[in-house]
Parts: sequence; C-alpha cells; structure tokens
Amino acid sequence: MSRTLLVRFSAIAISLGCAWLAYTQGPAPAKGGGAKQQKGQLTTQKVADDLYMIEGDGGNVAVYVTNEGAIIVDDKFEYDYDPIMAQIKGVTNQPVKYVMSTHHHGDHTGSSAKWLPTAEIIAHTNNRVNMVKGNQPGAPRVVFSDESDLFLGGKEVRAKYYGRGHTNGDAVIYFPALRTIHTGDLMAGASPLVDFSNGGSLKEWTTTLDGVLKLDFDTVIPGHGPVHKKADLQTYRDNIAKMQTRVSGLVRGGTSKDDLTKIMQSEFMWAGLNLQMGGIDGIMREFK
Amino acid sequence: MSRTVFVRFSAGLIALGCAWIAYTQAPPAPQGKQQAKQPNNTITKVTDDLYAIIGDGGNSSVYITNEGVILVDDKFEYDGQDIIDKVKSVTNQPIKYVLNTHLHGDHTGSNEKFLPIAEIIAHKNARDNMVKNKAPGVMRVVFTDETDIFLGGKEVRMKWYGRSHTNGDAVVYFPALKILASGDMGANNGPNVDFANGGSMKDWGKTLDEVLKLDFDTVIPGHGPVSKRQYLIDYRNVATQIPVTVTTMVRQGKSKDDIAKVFTANGGLWVNPNVVNKLDQIMAELKN
Repeated sequence: MSRTLLVRFSAIAISLGCAWLAYTQGPAPAKGGGAKQQKGQLTTQKVADDLYMIEGDGGNVAVYVTNEGAIIVDDKFEYDYDPIMAQIKGVTNQPVKYVMSTHHHGDHTGSSAKWLPTAEIIAHTNNRVNMVKGNQPGAPRVVFSDESDLFLGGKEVRAKYYGRGHTNGDAVIYFPALRTIHTGDLMAGASPLVDFSNGGSLKEWTTTLDGVLKLDFDTVIPGHGPVHKKADLQTYRDNIAKMQTRVSGLVRGGTSKDDLTKIMQSEFMWAGLNLQMGGIDGIMREFK
Repeated sequence: MSRTVFVRFSAGLIALGCAWIAYTQAPPAPQGKQQAKQPNNTITKVTDDLYAIIGDGGNSSVYITNEGVILVDDKFEYDGQDIIDKVKSVTNQPIKYVLNTHLHGDHTGSNEKFLPIAEIIAHKNARDNMVKNKAPGVMRVVFTDETDIFLGGKEVRMKWYGRSHTNGDAVVYFPALKILASGDMGANNGPNVDFANGGSMKDWGKTLDEVLKLDFDTVIPGHGPVSKRQYLIDYRNVATQIPVTVTTMVRQGKSKDDIAKVFTANGGLWVNPNVVNKLDQIMAELKN
C-alpha cells in the first residue's frame, strides 16, 4: 500500500471513528464537531453487472440486484437512508427486500430503524446483542448463530460467522455466483480496529480470516475503502499476524502501557478509536 | 390413551400417511382430489399467547405478539386459508413469520400462500430437500445451526440438532413459555424415518438428547395432542432403544419377522407402522 493511500486511510479511519463515536456513544452527533464529512455525499460503483458498492459516509454498502428485489449489505448512518435509497434507485427499480448486517456499529447499522418496516434485516446473534446493549435503534428481528442463506430471484447470498475479530458478531457476506465477499470491518482501513468492549479480538482475528479465506472468491468489498482482491485480504491477514507476534513479545516482555501505546502508534498506525476504545488495555489483557 | 382415541389416531395416521405419500412422493397429486379436500382443523389455546391448530397435516403453532404472529408449520395446500381464518379467530395480528420444522408437504403445504406476506424460515437441508423434490413454496431464508426471531418483545429460537425424521428437522422453542414445537422428531406413535431425505434411526436418539437439554415443560408434537415433556423423553428412550434392539437381534441372526414381532410386543411408541415397514432400511443403516 502506498504512503498516500495509507495517509488517506488513516484520515478516513479517524474521521469515521469520530463520527462513529459521536453516533453510538454520545447522545446525538455533535454538530460541526469531529466529523467534517459531507453528510449523505454518496457515490455508487459497479462491482459486477448486478452488484454495486455505495461509498461515502459510513461503511461500504453492497447492493445485489435480483428480479425479486434488492439485497443490501449494511446501511451506513441514520441520515444516509434517503441518500442510499437514491443511489439504489439510480441502478435499479427493485425495492430493497433484505439488509444483511456485518456488525452492530452505527456506521453500518445507522439507518436500520428506517429499513426495518419494509425489509428483513439479518445479522449474527452477537450483532443484535451488542445493538441492544448499546441501545441502538433498528435491532434486527432475525439473527443466526453460524450461517444464514438468502435465496431471492434465483440468486443466493450467504451470511456466515467465522469467529471474533473486529467484534464478536462480524458476519461475512458471500455472493457465490460473483465470487465476491463483503467483509464488514474484518477488513477496513490500514490497521485493524479491535472493539474489545464488544467482544473483538486481535488474537483470534487471523483465525477468523483464515476461515474466510477458505471461501472461493476473487473480489473483496471491505468494510471501508476501495474494492480489493483476495490477495489483499491475505496480506491484511498476514499483517495482523505480524502485529500479533510483535505485540505478544512486547506484552510478555513486560512493556509498560505507555511504551506499548507509543509502539502501537509508531509501528502500527494505531490512532483515534483504537486508543480511545481501550485497545491498549485490551491487547495487554489478550496477550498477557 | 383410550382405545377409541387410539383407533381414531391410527385411522387419522393412515389417512395422513396416504395424503403425505400422495403429496410428497407421487409427482403432483391429482387435481380433482386436491380441490375436493376440505380443511378440518381446530385451534386450541396452549397459553395466553400460544395456540395450536390441530387437524389436517402436521400441527401448527401460533405465537401472538403485538407486532405480528409467528406460525410454525402450515399443513397442506388446502389448509392455507383455514389457518389464516383460525388465526383471525384469536388475534387481529397478521402472520409475519412461518417457521417450517421440515420439508414434508403436510408441514409446508401452504407455504406458497404465505411466501408473499410472510418470511418463511427453515433449515438449509429442508430447503435443499424441497428443491430436490420440486416441492412448491420454497423459502427464501435458511439457517444451518440456529436462528432466532425477535418480534414484539418476544423471542422464538429455531435450532437444528442433527438428523432424525429427515436431515433437516428444526425444533422451535418458545423460551418465555417453556414450550417446544418438536416437528416430526416427536410425532404420533413412534419414529418414522424418511431415509430418502436424509433421516436417520441411528442418530435420532442422540438428536433428541440434545433437544432435551432445552428447558421446556410442554411439547407441541408434529402430530398428535399437546403433550408434556415426558412424551419427548419417552420418545427419546424408544428412538435410542430401537437401534440397540435391531442391531442385537441382527447379530443374533434373528429374522426381520422376529424383529417386527418384538416391535409389536413392545407396543407404545414402537408400533408406528412406518417403523416396522422400514425395518429393511433401518437394518441397512445400522449395518454401516
């Protein structure tokens, strides 16, 4: 990854982080503070003839078009409902029938409350548990523990849980006919963000991705950032493995919290949320 | 069970059996006969918010919430409207979810009627079997291990524990009520294995061992009257004993007729004619 891209990713990660914090942890998003993004400025990119990715604001939204309705993956922030709808209308007249949710964070489930009356939202059990715990609106009615498959208009989508990573409820959405996956935030930004308070795990993240990498796919829609290839997910996984080795050595060697913080910042671009969300304490606990 | 009730059940069972064979195993049922069939069902209160519709085909359960009704199984095609009418007689809430315990046409027969208005959910193998058998009303949503429905503040858990009647039997658990809808994993007067759809006499007892780990007092069986937990315990005991008895007798060189006589002599849950009729297949399965 080039330095420019890295910087852009970090900037995106930080701004998203602030927005996410404001959205999920504060009472209401702070006006004019933190997030400077243009709300609702979304763009749509074609991934395949019947699969699109909507970028901008929160997490990437995937739109799978069938002749019996559209299936979307994730729904960004609350204020993105109308913009998402407008983007979808730009590519199909089909109504959205299903929303597959990759995890509970408000930049991926923010407009769920608005989709619930007209679409079925499907998520992992822990995704819903985390939403309920965080008093987030729009908790799904239907959850699964291992895998849930959806068949619509002769097409198939599989939502599968592979274990802990970004949270304890990350689902990977697989489009077998297109050999494409949406990873949610199991792949997002330059450095993995571990939400320890919602069951995330840096230690198990690689095992989880090993499961994902067994799927037969070529194309990756990450939780945030541009479309990638399978090899990029492998690289992402290998970088996390390197981080695990380094962190494990440091923690077992008795490195202080302050020193660990500095190393995570300088070597692994940890910033914003990873630090704010108790990530240092989290990895010290996990790798002790 | 009184003799009269027993005779009525046996007659009902044979009639159901014929209907089931006609429906699921013959190509399409003759049209004239289909149209001539009149639904014959009664709705019974199990608790304030749970009813059972008993009569044609498999038992249906009706769970009422203030955001809609969750229905378990939907009998034959000609029962669809009657199910809707029976539900209307106890609540104004619309049917939002239909949970299919397995593929058979006496449990999924009116799926086509519900597909446009409700989400139908089943185990992955149940759907695969329906597709294989070209059964109508194939559902859009499947699960592999467990799926939970949250509606109107109430919860329903649908769980797969392994093979028994087929390879795709799910039990539906109402945790707040401590009630279980067992599907044909516990139905009528004894285990009936559908080998063509992945059923297993060998695994049936083990599967029920897992089911019995759930905390429930009442069972709505796949067929037959609403029962106590003990019904499923007895069922498990018989399902566990059948393979032991058959294997032992085969080893002793006993004939199929000898084995059949033991079934008849044991009575109770041993005397389902389908068990005796399928002794060849049961013996073949246990040989492996």
